Amino acid sequence: MSDIFSFNGSPNAGWSQPKPILSDSEVMATIPSSMLRDSPPAWPRASEPELVRHYTWLSKRNFGIDTGFYPLGSCTMKHNPRVNERIVNLPGIDRMHPLQPEHQIQGILSIFYEMQEMLAICSGMDQVTLQPVAGAQGEFTAMRCIQEYHRERGEGHRNKVIVPDSAHGTNPASASMCGYDIIEIPSGVDGRIDLDALQSVLGNDTAAMMITNPSTLGVFEPDIAKASEMVHSAGGQMYYDGANFNAIIGKTDPGLMGFDAVHYNLHKTFSQPHGGGGPGSGPIGVKEHLSRYLPSPLASRRERTKDDPIGVGDGYWYSWITPEMTIGKVQQWHGNAGAVIRCWAFYRRYGRELERMSEHAVLNANYLRFKIMNPDDEILEKIHAMPSDGAPTDFVMHEFTLSMIDMKDKVGVTGKDIAKRLLDYGVMAPTLYFPMIVPECLMIEPTETESKEVLDKFAKDFLNVLTEDPEIIKGAPYTTDVSRVDEVWAARNLIVRHPGHGIEEN
Amino acid sequence: MDQLPNLGREQEMLSVMGLNSIEQLFSNIPEDVRRKTPLPLPEPQSEEEIWRDAQHLLGSNIHLDSRPSFLSAGLSRNFVPTMVGMLATRGEFLTSYTPYQAEVSQGMLQAMWEFQTMISELVNLPITNVSMYDASTSAAEAITCAVRVHNKKATQKDTIYLSELVPPHRMSVIRNYIQGSGIDIKILNHDKNGHLNIDAASIAKGSCAVYVEQPNCFGILDEGLLQLKEQIGENTALIVGVDAVSLGLVSPPGNWGADIVVGEGQPFGIGPTFGGPIYGIFACTEKYIRQMPGRIVGLTHDTNENKAFTLTLSTREQHIRRHRATSNICSNETLIALMGAMHMALLGPEGITVLAKRVAASTEAAKKALSSVKGVELVYPESSVFRDFVIRIPGDSEKAISFIDSKGVIGGLPLSLWWESHSSCILVGCDERTSESDISLLVSAIKEWVKEVEN
Repeated sequence: MSDIFSFNGSPNAGWSQPKPILSDSEVMATIPSSMLRDSPPAWPRASEPELVRHYTWLSKRNFGIDTGFYPLGSCTMKHNPRVNERIVNLPGIDRMHPLQPEHQIQGILSIFYEMQEMLAICSGMDQVTLQPVAGAQGEFTAMRCIQEYHRERGEGHRNKVIVPDSAHGTNPASASMCGYDIIEIPSGVDGRIDLDALQSVLGNDTAAMMITNPSTLGVFEPDIAKASEMVHSAGGQMYYDGANFNAIIGKTDPGLMGFDAVHYNLHKTFSQPHGGGGPGSGPIGVKEHLSRYLPSPLASRRERTKDDPIGVGDGYWYSWITPEMTIGKVQQWHGNAGAVIRCWAFYRRYGRELERMSEHAVLNANYLRFKIMNPDDEILEKIHAMPSDGAPTDFVMHEFTLSMIDMKDKVGVTGKDIAKRLLDYGVMAPTLYFPMIVPECLMIEPTETESKEVLDKFAKDFLNVLTEDPEIIKGAPYTTDVSRVDEVWAARNLIVRHPGHGIEEN
Repeated sequence: MDQLPNLGREQEMLSVMGLNSIEQLFSNIPEDVRRKTPLPLPEPQSEEEIWRDAQHLLGSNIHLDSRPSFLSAGLSRNFVPTMVGMLATRGEFLTSYTPYQAEVSQGMLQAMWEFQTMISELVNLPITNVSMYDASTSAAEAITCAVRVHNKKATQKDTIYLSELVPPHRMSVIRNYIQGSGIDIKILNHDKNGHLNIDAASIAKGSCAVYVEQPNCFGILDEGLLQLKEQIGENTALIVGVDAVSLGLVSPPGNWGADIVVGEGQPFGIGPTFGGPIYGIFACTEKYIRQMPGRIVGLTHDTNENKAFTLTLSTREQHIRRHRATSNICSNETLIALMGAMHMALLGPEGITVLAKRVAASTEAAKKALSSVKGVELVYPESSVFRDFVIRIPGDSEKAISFIDSKGVIGGLPLSLWWESHSSCILVGCDERTSESDISLLVSAIKEWVKEVEN
């Protein structure tokens, strides 16, 4: 294997840079000798040719959407249009400082403003901030706004946040970071909200309910308006987790469902590349009554007067404004501006046709589900046990869940075994064991950017796995760069940095 | 609209399912929550049109490389090696998700493990995670982490001490992040040289944590901080925010008792990019590993005893522990940390030293030049500085910066934006790319401003 710390070449072979503008003795005199570093960090000594090869080698040991089908449920792994990467290399974003004066940043402000407006329109909200840099930070930010809203109304005693047991883990974690107590309510047998369970936990201590719709089971919650009404009657606020927003744009929106606040995962719905786990971007939208608490600043505009400079030439002058009762900052600058600009470029590609995007995401999910759940008789005969739907429903939205419990019961093959075996077929595995309410769960989200042929092939391969010798499945994967990885050993031994130059090869 | 491979094939796919309309798939959405009108948004655009509009809009911004710039204040107008962008945006890296399936993610996992090692070496602490959102959320989550570790034994329960020179935007992030835990913030003062009152700092002994920055937001390197850990003792976490580049020259906090080191990773890997995406550094001693936020990669082996990497200690995290998680962080800034790793690897031990010297040299040269301007004074003339320093000028600093701007120079940050009491001060920021001619242009512009005020 290529080990970066095995590069230990000549100190002169490394990347070159200009000399300091003062002499060495002048520089060293600027820092008290007691504060000087004894020896430089033990970083590799490598030349550009060596590093290009090292990182190319690493990249070949990594699976992305570009490599193959990536049906990772809840993560919306759609294609990332390449012009977006080209755009963020323009100096008008890459070489910009967030504290530059407004007249130097009119272009960025106009894009921020357009994105705030677009996201508000798509979600039925009144005001949007782009500052949160991840979905979880969006949740946290919105819960902080809700917290201040209650406090200002003299209802700071409301300390309970309700989440369904099918919620993303970030929901309870974010609310908990705000200081809220979490009440988890069980879903009904069909995976939908249990309104009786909801009613039983509502009270004058209810601060909010956090829910995603469609749910993590990929099912649209038909009682959502009723749930909103119940929470509002108790004096609580409704929070929409936008992780599954890709399913509904143009068809419905959180505003129509009765929500007060929503976060968007721009890295899911609007294709900011996830890059191994981030960056993301998690703007939030709120109804009017919460907008005065939003983080500062927000992009704003007014009609240009004759005294203003030309700006971007659209007749407006853009500026920052501070919400009246702002909670302040959640990220130190203006959020992940580079992600916002990529997502602006993505949205421009669809414009008013964003609805088509959601339609195709839902079409692909239903098609794939149908193909998996309706195998030919010939295959069906050979399958050890068919998966069952995580939630019984005629149609799903953008994703669906399968329980592999019958495979486990019948031949001892777990959901994880199947996930690992799928890697041998050249695809990424679905999301595993989430939501937790579905036993041996695989969660599959194809997204709108996969062709029918890819879906057909995945369904065929998936069903084929279910016919294989259970021992083969349990030993998978076989064709990957390493075979099944021992996670338990890693957690017990915690070797989280290179122990020295050149770890021993096994 | 050119992103949909099945456009025009809808009927073919629907008929497989025995359907004839896409609307049937949405039949579970009740009428009363249906959107009745089309989205009031513009027509779809082609790639060519989007590129044109992006060039126009972003081209109307004035960027830092188009003129001399002295605005840093926590971000670096760096030069990122060309290799970094080219390699990090290879599709296999760019379009991957969190490496849950280790068997097909060894590349990113190994790259992050190497990143962890390089940051650990830089700050001299054994444990590093794969990134936080930025320096401020790193600082905030370091504080809540330290409180979880130390509160039991603390004599000042739920109490932490912060340097009064934590810049206001970071203070605001910290307040948002910790208010839910009921943590009480107390302030440590600085003297007229901008140094922490080190003797008074022993007041923090028995609290959960002390957070200071080295250099602080005025660029001041504070020798006294080397004694801070002795003042506060074993049971109080010393959290230090750093300028990562400075550590090419300056003693790493791990050498002087820091328990957690945080900071902005941006100087390694990515341009200032209007403040994001950037990445926060988070490193700590073993004591904090089970309470730390964020993802971490560990070395292990596969079933054939080949070396392999995997995410580890995930039982701390939200997807397992839900409301009892150590943090809500899920998406992080891995791709930017990858860029950082590439940049650090290219620099190597000698390169980081040279880089730090370049910044120190620019800072010293600019400081010297400005201090000789009649009417301009250094606010902390006795102090060592790195990257940033504070000058006092005649008149209002915001007006001065506008004036300097009109001469084609981005003169720095008017400190009134941070503290009203500093309305005549400017934070001048330098970096490795600051040239002698940049400095002389700034000096001329400020001379003109002084003349303007005098008249």
